[in-house]
Amino acid sequence: MPYETLIPLIALLPILGFAFTALFGRRLMLRFGRTAAEIVPVGLIVAVWVIAMIVVVPALQHAEPFGEKGLDVKLWTWIPAGALQVDLGFHVDALTACLLIVVTTIGMLVHVYSIGYMAHDRATWRFFAYLNLFMFSMLILVLANNWLLVFGGWELVGLSSYSLIGFWYQKRSAALAAKKAFIVNRVGDVGFALGIMAIFVNTGTLNIADSLAKLTAPGAELTVPITIVALLVFCGAMGKSAQFPLHVWLPDAMEGPTPVSALIHAATMVNAGVYLVARANPLFASASAAMTVVAAIGIFTAILAASIAFTQTDIKRVLAFSTLSQLGYMFAALGVGAFSAAIFHLMTHGFFKGLLFLGSGSVIHSVDGEQDMNRMGGLARKIPITHATMLVGTIAIAGIPPLAGFFSKDEILGEAFKNQFYWVWIIGVVVAIMTAFYMWRLMGKTFYGESRVDPAVAPKVRESAWQMTLPLVLLAIPSLLLGLVLGGGVFLGQQGILAGWLEPVFRQAEEIMARTPQPFQLAGIDGALVLISVAAALAGLVSAVYLFGWGSHRVKQDKVDAISSANGATRFLYRASLNKWWFDELNDLLFIRIGGRVAAFLWWFDRTVVDGTVNGVGTVVKDAGGGLRQIQTGRVQNYALGIAIGLLVMAGSFLLIMGQPR
Amino acid sequence: MLSALNLISQNLNAYLILSGLLFAIGAFGFLARRNAIAMLMSIELMLNAVNLAFIAFGAFLWAANPAQAATASTIALIVIASAAAEATVGLAIVIAIYRNRKTPLVDEYDAMKR
Repeated sequence: MPYETLIPLIALLPILGFAFTALFGRRLMLRFGRTAAEIVPVGLIVAVWVIAMIVVVPALQHAEPFGEKGLDVKLWTWIPAGALQVDLGFHVDALTACLLIVVTTIGMLVHVYSIGYMAHDRATWRFFAYLNLFMFSMLILVLANNWLLVFGGWELVGLSSYSLIGFWYQKRSAALAAKKAFIVNRVGDVGFALGIMAIFVNTGTLNIADSLAKLTAPGAELTVPITIVALLVFCGAMGKSAQFPLHVWLPDAMEGPTPVSALIHAATMVNAGVYLVARANPLFASASAAMTVVAAIGIFTAILAASIAFTQTDIKRVLAFSTLSQLGYMFAALGVGAFSAAIFHLMTHGFFKGLLFLGSGSVIHSVDGEQDMNRMGGLARKIPITHATMLVGTIAIAGIPPLAGFFSKDEILGEAFKNQFYWVWIIGVVVAIMTAFYMWRLMGKTFYGESRVDPAVAPKVRESAWQMTLPLVLLAIPSLLLGLVLGGGVFLGQQGILAGWLEPVFRQAEEIMARTPQPFQLAGIDGALVLISVAAALAGLVSAVYLFGWGSHRVKQDKVDAISSANGATRFLYRASLNKWWFDELNDLLFIRIGGRVAAFLWWFDRTVVDGTVNGVGTVVKDAGGGLRQIQTGRVQNYALGIAIGLLVMAGSFLLIMGQPR
Repeated sequence: MLSALNLISQNLNAYLILSGLLFAIGAFGFLARRNAIAMLMSIELMLNAVNLAFIAFGAFLWAANPAQAATASTIALIVIASAAAEATVGLAIVIAIYRNRKTPLVDEYDAMKR
């Protein structure tokens, strides 16, 4: 089939799966069992993966008909309204292809995994319907060729994320977390919507490629300054990708089922912001102030989230803060102009963080729903496959060569240093140490030392079903090798494969920034940077291994306590980390207490002044009408009298004004 | 010498006063009489008062401008025609209402109030 047919199919199949499962899933499940309800949504996503791979391979190689610019598939004109012409169309280039790989691969594995994970749930069909809806939304977001369609996908992922976080809606905390995620996302979306309007005002088109070309054309006259446009678009990215100060929703989103955390809140949806900034790369490249803001917010989120991950005891929350931190890295990369490094990290992170989340789900599943790491420990021998794959994920995220995380993280740090963003580089190295440390803390507390599992549960701990372990193994492979394959080339003095694929996408930004390319010097500056970042990762890892144990070595709790309560400063840091730097409390103060007061005042104003005016007008009109109603007697002669009197008055006044009759 | 000689009076104002009186009587009748038939008759009175005024103007204009004076007669003829039509329709309506309400008194016809 031609690509013009295949590309719309990628988006079409999941929505069909959603419609089918939402309509018939319940009946199928009740009559024929779970498998009947699961086969359509899971099967369709597998088909989507196959189609996506068929599309992705030529798109990455810039083969015809994609070429370097990518293939535009216009289905029809969606909104024809005068100057506003919006197509329903898709655009597939190398950047889209990279996202397609991550979204469809992890999406497919999560669907398979969910069969095992949700095997005891009453409403599996509803879960799979939502998952399909999410896949549809995310694919629309990634494939769209105009801003409005991107925004549509953007809102739909927010909606499906809301539904999935609150999937167990009977649980109050889950319902609240879903609401929180939705509302905080909305804050960013307002900015994004304003950004899209600003783009339209500036360029008169919503097509992504056209509008970017017009925005960045030399001598373009812009109604809205380009820095403001870039910051507004970044505002949306901050919401979806949970960057400071809109990061508060992501940790709470862990209330959802773990496959959801893996798919949406680690590997795909939270990457939407990174994708958006990368897609708008010429816009950001032309606004250097906005780029600095992106870098600053990114690296600040990275270190803030890493510091919180130190003390969390919920296994999924540690991973959630780790995700925030890694997303911060990606934004830092975007901010320093290393667009392809950001996408590189997006891809590797998608795989190893998806793996870690699914692994944590497997752990939780095996210890009967327990999420507190203080009630785990010593699980390595009981759930060996989960342990082995999570170990791969941990080493990958820590940045030990030759696993995936090393290559992408090192590329980000190297680019930051070489582009003279030394502050980003220094904080980035510190975050690398912290990442390795808190990830091994997670491993140590979960898998090693003595068992602290509830004695009632302990005998029942066993490895999860194959539907759950198979995706873990399949995700472990890219976590091991993806970095080497996509970015290993630089160590041989060549361009990385991924950088080669993405080069046409980011060429315009590179031209705008006009940086002199610096060749990779393994024996020079780059070698030194690599050594520093590996040393940082090892330092974090070794100290965590010492403190939190390995094998049968137990956690040195006395030492941990000694460090965290050594003096005033560490005690403060410990409490700050434990309380997530009090951001929830700050938001409570700002928006619930103070904001609530303002809202109450405005409500009063609305009731008394605004409503009073409106009701007053209504009362006056009503009473006047009631008075005039008396005139209507229904008798013809009264009306005729009125006419006669009126005529007389008119004629009389005419005579008075025009003079006496002659 | 056809026009003014055959007139009863040589004074235009006399005709206009007569016309005005007839119109006033008609208007009074229309407003004051409660019988629908009498109201229709009052309308006829008003229309004919206007006709009289037209004809009087026409007759006095004849010497100065015969063409324009002919217009006056034309308008009077149109008024007569439409008055006939109006009387027919009016009577038909009155009879229809009378059959419904069993009264010719317009005071009772207050359906427009509702």
